[in-house]
Amino acid sequence: MRLVFFAVLLFLLVLPGRAAETAAINAAAPAAAAPEAQPEGLPMAATTAFSIGPFPVTSSMLVTWIVALGIILSARLATRNMEKVPGGAQNFWEWLVESLHDFLESILGADLVKRTFWFFATIFIFILFTNWFGLIPGVGTIGWGVDTAHGFEVTRPLLRGGNADLNMTFAMSSVFMALWLIWAVQCNGVGGFLLHLFGPKGDSSGFIKYIMVVIFFGVGCLEVLSIAFRPVSLSFRLYGNIFAGENLLEAFSHIVQHPPWARAVASALLPVPFYFLELMVGFVQALVFMLLTSVFTALVCKHEEEPGKAREGH
Amino acid sequence: MVTPMLAELTGNFQVGLAALGSAIGVGMVGWKASEAVGRNPGAFGKVIVLALLGMAFAEAIVFYAIFLGSH
Repeated sequence: MRLVFFAVLLFLLVLPGRAAETAAINAAAPAAAAPEAQPEGLPMAATTAFSIGPFPVTSSMLVTWIVALGIILSARLATRNMEKVPGGAQNFWEWLVESLHDFLESILGADLVKRTFWFFATIFIFILFTNWFGLIPGVGTIGWGVDTAHGFEVTRPLLRGGNADLNMTFAMSSVFMALWLIWAVQCNGVGGFLLHLFGPKGDSSGFIKYIMVVIFFGVGCLEVLSIAFRPVSLSFRLYGNIFAGENLLEAFSHIVQHPPWARAVASALLPVPFYFLELMVGFVQALVFMLLTSVFTALVCKHEEEPGKAREGH
Repeated sequence: MVTPMLAELTGNFQVGLAALGSAIGVGMVGWKASEAVGRNPGAFGKVIVLALLGMAFAEAIVFYAIFLGSH
């Protein structure tokens, strides 16, 4: 149920972001030139695949829906008749969830992981399968396009890598920042949260204490700035990696142009090593997104026992 | 003689410099991670988590330059 909730939440978040982001990026990036002899890079913003009434659906959005549906269906089907000793699909899902749980427990600690595991596991599984789905042949190459001198060129693919759309990654980062705020306040209380950011740390006595308060307040302001930058860094890291990967594959497909037979063969064979690279990058970026978000949460929620002081009842 | 040569340079310097720094940073993280695992092979799990984290932070800088830099 959490998975469904999260998928719906993501979909709702992509809705308002899409129009604004696409307008911004299309204004920022120079307009895609007409088909020329040189191969053009992929458009930075996802193109519209089709429209539901007045609402345009981009190819990346479609991919995220398909992946979410696929994950939900396969997880549900695998756990339909739960067995004590699992085999097959149920075993796979149990292994995945249990490995993630143990891993996150080592980062977050036992009680925090109970509250937050649903988010980090969903983020990892969703980003992983979305990245890998974008590597399936046909994603990005089947769609509507124009006839050029070099044959048919697809300008509006039906499906495109889900995280090659900044809206998607920004939606996930924004959801995480909202949840981070909620968890931070849940862990520390509002006053405790502000104290965590701006309060003086360490022991100081007398006159020095007042100077420390001022200094730590300044440090807190810088910290707020760095925290405010986190959604940008999280979203651009994932977007950049996946978009650059797609661009790389596209570029290597189009490197050999002239003898038509060599072009056909090279466009299929040359990208193969880069597909392996993209498999690895897809996995690493999912892992990194989950790692970073869980580390940010652990930083604000976990309080280490200081060796010199005894803290009662924490 | 140098100035006309410099004037002929074209391309995206901003991304080039950012990529230089980013690649060196990622390489250094990898170097030290391999060294750490070589000294203590049992710490592979912990080292790789820290290494991936460090590489992600170092690599992200080049994406800021590519997508957030001027045009």
